[in-house]
Amino acid sequence: MNKALIIGGRVLKQLSKDPRFFGLSIFAPLIIIYFFKLFADSMPMGFPSERYAIPISAFIVHFLSFILCGVAIVQERTRGTLDRILIAGYRKSQIIGGYVLGYLILATIQATAVLAETIWLFDLHYSTQTVVYLFLVIWLLAIVSVMLGIFISTFAKHEGHVFPFIPLIILPSVFLSGMILDPTLLPTWAQYVGKAFPLYYANHIAQIVITPNYCPCTLRPDFIILCCYAVGLLFVASFTLKDTE
Amino acid sequence: MVVEVENLVKNYGKFKALRGISLNVPEGKIYGLIGPNGAGKSTLIKALVGSVKPTSGTVKVLGLHPLESKWKLREQLGYMPQSPALYDDLSAKDNIKFFARAKEKSSTLNQRVDEIIKFTELTERANDPVGDFSGGMKKRVSLACALIHDPQVIFLDEPTAAIDPHLKLRSWELFRELTNRGKTIFVSTHLMDEALLCDQITILREGEIITTDSPKAILEKGNSTIKISMNDGSQKEVSCPSAPAALAATIAALHVDASVATFEIMQDDLEKIILSIINTKK
Repeated sequence: MNKALIIGGRVLKQLSKDPRFFGLSIFAPLIIIYFFKLFADSMPMGFPSERYAIPISAFIVHFLSFILCGVAIVQERTRGTLDRILIAGYRKSQIIGGYVLGYLILATIQATAVLAETIWLFDLHYSTQTVVYLFLVIWLLAIVSVMLGIFISTFAKHEGHVFPFIPLIILPSVFLSGMILDPTLLPTWAQYVGKAFPLYYANHIAQIVITPNYCPCTLRPDFIILCCYAVGLLFVASFTLKDTE
Repeated sequence: MVVEVENLVKNYGKFKALRGISLNVPEGKIYGLIGPNGAGKSTLIKALVGSVKPTSGTVKVLGLHPLESKWKLREQLGYMPQSPALYDDLSAKDNIKFFARAKEKSSTLNQRVDEIIKFTELTERANDPVGDFSGGMKKRVSLACALIHDPQVIFLDEPTAAIDPHLKLRSWELFRELTNRGKTIFVSTHLMDEALLCDQITILREGEIITTDSPKAILEKGNSTIKISMNDGSQKEVSCPSAPAALAATIAALHVDASVATFEIMQDDLEKIILSIINTKK
């Protein structure tokens, strides 16, 4: 754990030394949310912008965490630092733990900023409990995204190889996870495919908590699945992160 | 023996990177690995530090298997890869500290970091980001990261390439100082003048060992040219092997006397001899 903290500290230090990257990681989602607000305002009356606003916020954090972490790990490999830090004595689990900690701080800032802007721009009136749940689900999705990024990096020999996974993993989840369309309207097989994406469960939680008078007990299965997703990917990433050629 | 390699083979698909390497490195020596690009030097070093899984053969470093006992072994080894492999956004000091923390927990860490920064002459730029450094400066930081935890055996993959002559000299002085303290250094280089500074060298070509010997013994495998200028202005040139016995016999046969104005012996340099060995055995 101590060494994971050292790696996490190093990741954060690197991020802080690159204010342009750090700024873009925070402001880009805010600008996208603003564009969505413009889009929602241009739609005919009755457009349920509330139904889309939070899931889109979650998706942006999911997408950015996945890409940033995936590229960062691939860079570690191509620059030889991954090999070197393993030989120096850091273990795979400590490296993964360190990346999760480091990017989690970034994802927490992103989640807070995005959620605050969405609530303010769309003039959403949620109870404190709902806001906490929404924050928690975005935050948890960010952890899963970091793990997914580490896992995907195994299959990439250079940074460019991460990008083909966007149409393969990230974009299908937009259509199949219920973010745009109620997933029960999809063909049965597509519903099963949709359930393979973590965004499905995050979206399901978001859709429940924005409805009035929901029971928090109904959120439990989705939260458990998201947690299992994170733990499962942690194990898979630990096995697939190569430490020898 | 600090390093024991027996019939080591590493294949990448159909490409044979190492073809049955066997070598032994005694304690407290500088062991040089010489060879052209693609000879397998880096692959061999990576196999010794446990970053490459051999296809077959056995490897032991400090009596430990680099993969089966990797964590125990990694406590005691230092590794400097061919590329700097540093974090460009971080300062030299932060990079060194980060590598030091992988092993050291002691309160003397900061003191050790300062010492190594001073040795590698990075003091003035210790807090600058490594990304702004020249290639030679990055090598200094990389060397500092490899030495920071005072390892027992040190693997250096072309450590002084692109380093200025002053630091190169200082680095080799340090390597010698380290071996005098019982440390073992395994260094790859393509710089022939550096080969002379090793206690023993192995010449590698296309994944195979061409020869293993001391630099002195390899020098003796070359030829010497004896140039004699006579008082009457005539000149004579004789070639013979550089081995002391052969050289002495040739000189004796020349019957050098008062009629000789100048007498010069020119020995083949190590680069010429090594290239000749590599080309002869092709």
